[in-house]
Amino acid sequence: MELLLHHLYLVSIFGYLLGASISLGYLFVKEQNTGNIIVNALCIAASAVAAAASVGKIFSGVGTLNIFSLQSAIPFITLNISIDNLSAFFVLALSILVFCVSIYSIGYISHYNGKRNIGLFNFLYVMFIISMFFVLTSANAVFFYISWEAMSLLSYFLVVFESEKEENQKAGTVYIVMTHLATACLLIGFMIIYHYTHSFDLIVAQNGTVIPEMARNIAFILFLVGFGTKAGVIPLHIWLPYAHPAAPSNVSALMSGIMIKTAIYGLIRFVLCYLGVQNTWWGIVILVLGMLSAVLGVAYALMEHNIKRLLAFHSVENIGIILIGLGVSYIAFAQNHLLVGGLALTAALLHTFNHTLFKGGLFLGAGAIQYAVHTKDIEKLGGLLKKMPVTGLMVLCFSLAISAIVPFNGFISEWLTYQSIFANILPGQIGLNFFSAVAVAALALTGALAAACFVKLFGISFLGLPRSEQAANAQEVPKTMNIGMGLLALICLGIGLFPLTILKLLDPVVGSLGGGSVFSQLQGGFMLAYYPLTVSPGSISPVALILALAGIILLALLVIRIVGGKYIERKYGTWDCGFEALNARMQYSATGFSKPIKIVFRILFRPTRKITTEGDSFYYPESIEYATTVASIFEDYLYHPVIKRLQKFSQRTKYKIQTGSIHNYLIYIFAAVLLLMLYNRLA
Amino acid sequence: MKDCTPGRIGNEAMNSIAYIIIQLIVTLLAAPLVGGLIKKVKALTQKRKGAPVLQMYFDLYKLLQKTSVVSEVSSWIYKAAPYIVFATALTGALLVPVSTKIVPVLIPGDFIMLVSILALGRFFMMAAALDTASTFGGMGSSREAMISSLIEPSILVALFTVGLLSGSTSLPRMMQTVQVTGFPFAHPVYMMVGLALLIIIIAETSRIPVDDPSTHLELTMVHEAMILEYSGRHLALLEYGAAVKQLVFVTLFVNIFIPHDQLIPFMGFGAVILSLLLYLLKVVLMAVVIALIEVNTVKFKLFSIPNLAALSFILAFLGILQFFILGGYHV
Repeated sequence: MELLLHHLYLVSIFGYLLGASISLGYLFVKEQNTGNIIVNALCIAASAVAAAASVGKIFSGVGTLNIFSLQSAIPFITLNISIDNLSAFFVLALSILVFCVSIYSIGYISHYNGKRNIGLFNFLYVMFIISMFFVLTSANAVFFYISWEAMSLLSYFLVVFESEKEENQKAGTVYIVMTHLATACLLIGFMIIYHYTHSFDLIVAQNGTVIPEMARNIAFILFLVGFGTKAGVIPLHIWLPYAHPAAPSNVSALMSGIMIKTAIYGLIRFVLCYLGVQNTWWGIVILVLGMLSAVLGVAYALMEHNIKRLLAFHSVENIGIILIGLGVSYIAFAQNHLLVGGLALTAALLHTFNHTLFKGGLFLGAGAIQYAVHTKDIEKLGGLLKKMPVTGLMVLCFSLAISAIVPFNGFISEWLTYQSIFANILPGQIGLNFFSAVAVAALALTGALAAACFVKLFGISFLGLPRSEQAANAQEVPKTMNIGMGLLALICLGIGLFPLTILKLLDPVVGSLGGGSVFSQLQGGFMLAYYPLTVSPGSISPVALILALAGIILLALLVIRIVGGKYIERKYGTWDCGFEALNARMQYSATGFSKPIKIVFRILFRPTRKITTEGDSFYYPESIEYATTVASIFEDYLYHPVIKRLQKFSQRTKYKIQTGSIHNYLIYIFAAVLLLMLYNRLA
Repeated sequence: MKDCTPGRIGNEAMNSIAYIIIQLIVTLLAAPLVGGLIKKVKALTQKRKGAPVLQMYFDLYKLLQKTSVVSEVSSWIYKAAPYIVFATALTGALLVPVSTKIVPVLIPGDFIMLVSILALGRFFMMAAALDTASTFGGMGSSREAMISSLIEPSILVALFTVGLLSGSTSLPRMMQTVQVTGFPFAHPVYMMVGLALLIIIIAETSRIPVDDPSTHLELTMVHEAMILEYSGRHLALLEYGAAVKQLVFVTLFVNIFIPHDQLIPFMGFGAVILSLLLYLLKVVLMAVVIALIEVNTVKFKLFSIPNLAALSFILAFLGILQFFILGGYHV
């Protein structure tokens, strides 16, 4: 078994590498369609193999798989790939997403045909996947760091792929600066660990116990900042709403679906597995950051009308929900409530997995809209459900899933999060319980606002009248794109209806991280009824619920048929208040839809509006332009002042340090060498 | 079907089917009554005779006979929404037992699921309102989005607190707990949460001061604006769904805060019937209370509703804090 899994992983890596080299071969070929199909087919095959191997790895219960280990001549640098349960779980999420996105890409990439170098794109795309695979499986901190850096750089190239657009250049700059600030933190963290353990080996669990308390706390903060930036935790999230919209949609799906989850993987691998959670405040910090990200993320999403920026803010929100689960689990672990810790960790991991599915799917949906309508602006869409029925249905499914509505998977993980908070409320720890209560409120507010936001997204773009010429002439996207989205939607529904399957898969993962077994606490009853944790026997059964729902609908149809007779329908226009014709401008716009919430939370949004009228008379203007903006508090009050100060400081100092005189430079060098020698002597 | 109490009949499946049937019949029959009663009480306080209490049944029957007018603009969402709204409300009703003498077994679900299933209905209703391209639909949908996102946190925090008191998130369990602990309003936690839930009921069931169910003035309406384009059987389903949802919230409130089953010491079929009668009495009482609140307040302007929602949230949150400080009882 072990050998088989080992070979499967090797085959998968080989498949990706083959794909990368083939795409390189197509760099200078004019006709790139065949190359595109071959590369994506290789990705599909490789990801299918990796997914199968991961499921096999987790269920078979074999220990850590050492895939390969290459010692290089350079000290510390070892290419060491090994897979334990946690890695396998994240690789599974990666593989499922890559599988669906690659199917989708076959059709999606065709609109770059002749305009872009598809060979180059595919090379970056496959290398990006490989780098994420290595991040999730490297067993050596240096190799992890190299893969992490490669992942960041490759995604940067993908963000600026359409580099002639000015917004993409800005997005790329913000992204690369933020991601390198994060990487710097990680590097210092690794160095602190190395200083005390003299090893870059990651697989040794809880190695952190030899590190003194203070250094461990510093390492935790560094990891939190480093991984938090990649994850898009508020206030480090600012790159996300720039980078996700700029990248091509299949890349956005990968970036939002799995790349930001590698940060969650990092937080679990380095903090829980490596440093070991002993302080309750670590959990509280993560919990508070999670609540902040969840609520603010969804609040900012509501104000967005660029469909991909909106989705990017929802990534911030969902990372917040994951962090709430993770925070609760760290609090519980620190207090040795292993069962509650396990439950919360299960919730966090499941939400990570779910978010990979539905957010990946939503970005694919956004890509489909862009493919058909050539716009990312919701205000220019409308009535697409009739033109693109399959895409519309998929986006509806994903919208319900992300809003935590039954019977989709988002509900299951949020339910588990609620249950873990519930189970974590114990007498005698009033301070902690206060955080739990706030977390419940934050989760509830997040869920409700998310539903409002996705009613807006779905309702404004897919329903009503088309708001632009292109939307009126939209056509359904190619079949491969629909298949890619459809598979993701099916998995979302599957997990939502049969949560026990995925929970069974998660149990060994959480178990290997030191959490109590959640699955053994479940008692399978009538039709997948589901009773977790004896401490709070709440139980849900999505299947029974859906059967009841369907039964009631059928019964209603029957009763109405008997009482009301045959269904007679009369088509007629919507009531237009007596005007001659209904037009698209009479509909509610996305701005109008979210306006009440903007007014309610005006302290947060600080909205401004500008009305400019044209024409001679004030009372009878020829045209009125209404512009409204929402302040992004963190950029305005946190980043911009810092950047401004820094710029001012460098302006002032540059004439003192960078004088242009070679004598001064020689003195600097001399002083530096002297200081270094002194340090070497004294230390 | 002589005996419906759990454990006595010996057959769990039979028991759950019996439960489902009783629950469905009681809900379906009582739901339109609540609205009728509220209207009647309002009329009486205004020295009018008012429509008959059973008026809604006649309306529903009449609507079912009518042709449905469907907007040319709309898609399948528009036609599916009434069925989904009705079915989600009724499925929600299956999660909230009308009497603890009959314990639900078929659909395991708790209050988080109840909120989620009602959110499913609301999602479709808000989407359908946008589907006809009518301004009124958009207006109602947008307002509903605001109100629901402000009210939902306080529902969850309030019910979470009640759940903590009983040690479970399951609704039947919460209701059984108060049967044992006695009159809940004597307990400060319940007192806070009860007041919070009272506000929630008014907001969730589109009542004055949050929404005015009897008007079609576009400036005031929320729920009515969303369903403005509907007619015929679609409208009937939506109205019925709204009534069922109202009853779900009323049931939730009365069965948690006015426990009655400990008044019936004996078991068996008679106990179930007696319990149901007492339940209906409580519903009537609640309808009168809601009517009196409606008579004595005026419709708030839209942007005063957040204050009301905040009040309810603060009450619920104070409830949970009191629970932490005072400590609770798990039964």
